[in-house]
Amino acid sequence: MIEKPMTPNHPETDDELLMRMRSGDEQAFMALYRRRQAAIYRFVLHMSGSATVAEDVTQEVFLALIREECGFDPQRGTLSGYLFGIARKLVLRHVERGRPDVALETDLESSALPEMMVADDPLADLIDREGIEALRRSVLALPRRYREVVVLCDLEEVDYGEAALVLGCPIGTVRSRLHRARGLLLEKLSQRWQHRSGAMALKPIRCAI
Amino acid sequence: MAAPIRCDGVETDKVCDMNCQEFWNTMPELAREAEDGDGEHVRECAQCAALLNRQRTLASGLRRLAADWRPVEAPARVEARLTAAFLGQAGLTVLGPAVRWWVPVATWAAATAAVLALAMFLARDRQVVPAHRTASNRVQLAVVEPPADLEMLGDFSDANDDFIPLPNAARIEPNEDLNLVRVEVPRSAMIALGYSVSEDRASEPVEAEVVLGADGMARAVRFLE
Repeated sequence: MIEKPMTPNHPETDDELLMRMRSGDEQAFMALYRRRQAAIYRFVLHMSGSATVAEDVTQEVFLALIREECGFDPQRGTLSGYLFGIARKLVLRHVERGRPDVALETDLESSALPEMMVADDPLADLIDREGIEALRRSVLALPRRYREVVVLCDLEEVDYGEAALVLGCPIGTVRSRLHRARGLLLEKLSQRWQHRSGAMALKPIRCAI
Repeated sequence: MAAPIRCDGVETDKVCDMNCQEFWNTMPELAREAEDGDGEHVRECAQCAALLNRQRTLASGLRRLAADWRPVEAPARVEARLTAAFLGQAGLTVLGPAVRWWVPVATWAAATAAVLALAMFLARDRQVVPAHRTASNRVQLAVVEPPADLEMLGDFSDANDDFIPLPNAARIEPNEDLNLVRVEVPRSAMIALGYSVSEDRASEPVEAEVVLGADGMARAVRFLE
């Protein structure tokens, strides 16, 4: 792990706060919680679509940290990645107990190349509130394995290496899932644009190999 | 000479170093900087150029979505519950079951402060949601005038399931929405409520349930053992 240089005004690293927390320092725990809780909460919220689940899982994640239930090893990754990993396992449990993954209507495996529509750019309305909300709904509608890379890498700005540790897969898999996820989002948003504009369905044109 | 590459039905007499599939195999939309080969293909293939542009618009939309959601965080009550859990855990860790302490007056005062601090932490968030667990009906039985004299003599180590009103806490009103929180505290915290605790068990943990009123203030507690 890359350690930031110690300077008088430099905030403590997660590992330093964790060490103090383990010796019973309440302030260290609160500092660590306040630094990391929002990202964990948002991750679970985006994955589950439920504020109740997000609250419960966030609490369970930090309870696991307090009780040292899962054994964080700083040699294997960052504390942030460790917390995301616990949150991911817990939210999967909640989601699998509840509704099944919501998949897009398109056949996910059929197209090897991204579809291209000969039309005005349907993403032009991504600059307004409604467009952003449509994007959020599209992210929520992604199958889980694509949704989690978008949430981690695009929404929570976790780098690919850390995301790979959280998801337990190679970095290449993270990139390819993200690539596929973005293709699916473009398809979903294009469908929405077509529905809104009432335009006739446009035949997709493939760029020949 | 290599055969011309067809792209969108238009023949070109130029040979692309990279065809469209190869171009998208490099996942150019994820690259922070364009590769040299990518730029050449995009210059020569209008369709791929248009699609890459849309990918970048999508990436921009995702960044905006991320920024919109950045202020979202867990409710304050989560921090209150976790702090209570940490304090209980830290008490167990710090004192340790193998350490036997004589409980001086200062520790009794600290135990009282711990119970009251617990009540304050739990009361920080006043937006109490409907309780996941409802308080026992026995809470109703505990709605009595707070004893004028809180010194309860004798050893209450036998099971006593009734809730004990906290000192200076408001009465529990009929039909008041209550919330119930379970915490773990050092046994020495029981001293503050009039229990007699033997010296060799003062550091052991004990579970307690705290009743919160509709205003988020702690009203009563019972120790579970």
